Amino acid sequence: MRRPLGILLPILILIVWEIAARFINNQFILPRLETVLPVLLSPTIDILGTGSLLHNAMVSLERVGAGFLVALAIAIPLGVGMGWSRRLDALADTTIQLLRPIPPLAWGPLAIAWFSVGINSMIFIIFLGAFFPILLNTIDGVRAIKKTWVEVAQTLGASERQVLAKVVLPGAAPTIWTGLRVGFGIAWMCVIAAEWLPGTTSGLGYLTLYAYNFGQMHYIIAGMITIGIIGIAFDLLFRSVEDRWFCWRGLER
Amino acid sequence: MKGMRLLLLGCLAVLLIAAGCTTTQQATGDVGILYTKGTGPMPTLLATKQIDGYIAWQPFVEVAPVAGIGRVITYSGNLPPDDRWKNHPCCVLTSRTDFMNSNPAFVDAMGAATILATRYINDHQSEAADITAEWLAGKGNFTYGNITVSSVEILERSFPTVKFVNEPSEQWMGGQLEFVYALRELGTITGTLKNTTDDQTKALLFDTGPYDRAMAMINASSIAVPPAEANPVGVGYLLSDHHASLFVAVKKWQYFNDTYGIALKPEDPTATRPDLVDLLVKGQKVATLKLIPADAGPQLMQLAATKTIQMAYVGNPPAISAIDQGTPLKILMALNNEGSGVVVVTSSPATDWDSFVQWAKERSAAGKPIVMAAPGKGSIQDVMLRYALEESGLSVKEVQA
Repeated sequence: MRRPLGILLPILILIVWEIAARFINNQFILPRLETVLPVLLSPTIDILGTGSLLHNAMVSLERVGAGFLVALAIAIPLGVGMGWSRRLDALADTTIQLLRPIPPLAWGPLAIAWFSVGINSMIFIIFLGAFFPILLNTIDGVRAIKKTWVEVAQTLGASERQVLAKVVLPGAAPTIWTGLRVGFGIAWMCVIAAEWLPGTTSGLGYLTLYAYNFGQMHYIIAGMITIGIIGIAFDLLFRSVEDRWFCWRGLER
Repeated sequence: MKGMRLLLLGCLAVLLIAAGCTTTQQATGDVGILYTKGTGPMPTLLATKQIDGYIAWQPFVEVAPVAGIGRVITYSGNLPPDDRWKNHPCCVLTSRTDFMNSNPAFVDAMGAATILATRYINDHQSEAADITAEWLAGKGNFTYGNITVSSVEILERSFPTVKFVNEPSEQWMGGQLEFVYALRELGTITGTLKNTTDDQTKALLFDTGPYDRAMAMINASSIAVPPAEANPVGVGYLLSDHHASLFVAVKKWQYFNDTYGIALKPEDPTATRPDLVDLLVKGQKVATLKLIPADAGPQLMQLAATKTIQMAYVGNPPAISAIDQGTPLKILMALNNEGSGVVVVTSSPATDWDSFVQWAKERSAAGKPIVMAAPGKGSIQDVMLRYALEESGLSVKEVQA
């Protein structure tokens, strides 16, 4: 019953969109469905010399992948450290809380100065987007480990290293995974913004901004829908892993 | 906060009126100017009636009539006062001075490639428009509701309104000085150019050496082979037909290679908008160029200031501002004169500048001054529109978002 209901609203939105587009009759406010659909249905056709929808989606995904992996590689060890050691937490917490509210795109001018135009600047901005959710969830996950689990392991003679590897990391994994899911979502949003930096020549973000120059709203909307679809697809992927591997979280009391 | 500011402004107004120092402008109306950081938002703002018109560089002037959302009332060369903007300077080729000093032969060769491409544009205008349509839009179509137009058609409309020239003549430098004066008036010049004499300004802005040497090489039919560059050279440009000499130089590289022995060969010949090109002189690869597009000149000048790019195709005000702010940069030669235009919304009664001025005055008198968009404060388009409006008895107010 959930599926049909979930589909109903998008269909309704499409119908209302088409009626509204005909009524408004101004493609700058709302282009008609029939100008947007062909773009989505032929994702391999070149758009304004910027490459096809598919090509640009792949480019954006590669950038997100790279930024996300860097964030993951730094945030998880740091998060485990901060969750485990009060001293490290005291040292780093203020700085992290200070940096966290800065929107990744605000780093744009500095990113370009430090990493020069191109992929490295974008990876930096995506990294910033993904880093904090992963870090904070990792810290939370480690802190929420039951004292009794750790004590049991220690009583049985486990070293600190063993406790971390065999108890803390697996125990915190569901929360860390949630951090990864949220982090990836934010990274995906950031890539669009990162592709608005000067010097970019490809990607879904660049494509939408470039189409803006010529008032090509149907390309912009097709780009937005593609961004949304890819976002959902990855969220579902993360969720299915969560359901399969981390379902024990709900069972354990 | 906002209420406080209004209150303060109100108090100030009362005080000024009481003191009898209300402004004594002879202006008979106001026009609002909205800055849109490039041309991107202009068609949308016009189509949704948030602005009454805009001034932009080509080909974005032609987008409005083709999309049926606006009408071109004048191109920039015809803005008042009479003949003031005829052949006005526009975009320029620039280089960082440290780069020029260490790579003089490379900069001369780039100058030669640019001059040869400009000649080609003037001899083959329709082909150049075609090439530019490919670079800017992959020769794709633009769709505006029921109307579908080829990008080639838009570029063919816009090309005749741009004058492609390179010579850094005395007259052209005089035109550049006009922009320096205008930027001083706008208060955007605050550094090294603030109080300079004209001769000092010219010495700070220009280095015509590369142009002279490039011309000598072209006239002698022999381009000198520069020493090979170890690192890629960053070259910035804008996605405008003003920079067609770059697009033509790259897309027609084979012709230039065979005819003159100098070429900018794209590393990926299938790319519509190549970002890596090789400078070939007499068949030898001299350097790899990283071509970096931006939305507007100030962005390019920031990239030049951080050494991300060494040379830039850019509008003259951003170059002047960058030099004023201490970026070690020189203007080497012209790229084009004119090439901007003023567009008004289709529902406007204006068909030319005079009827536009009348319309603006009527709207101002009715308490609803028109709002015009310009790409940025101190841009060529902004400066010309301000001058023209003030010349016509209208005063300019910046629209605060």
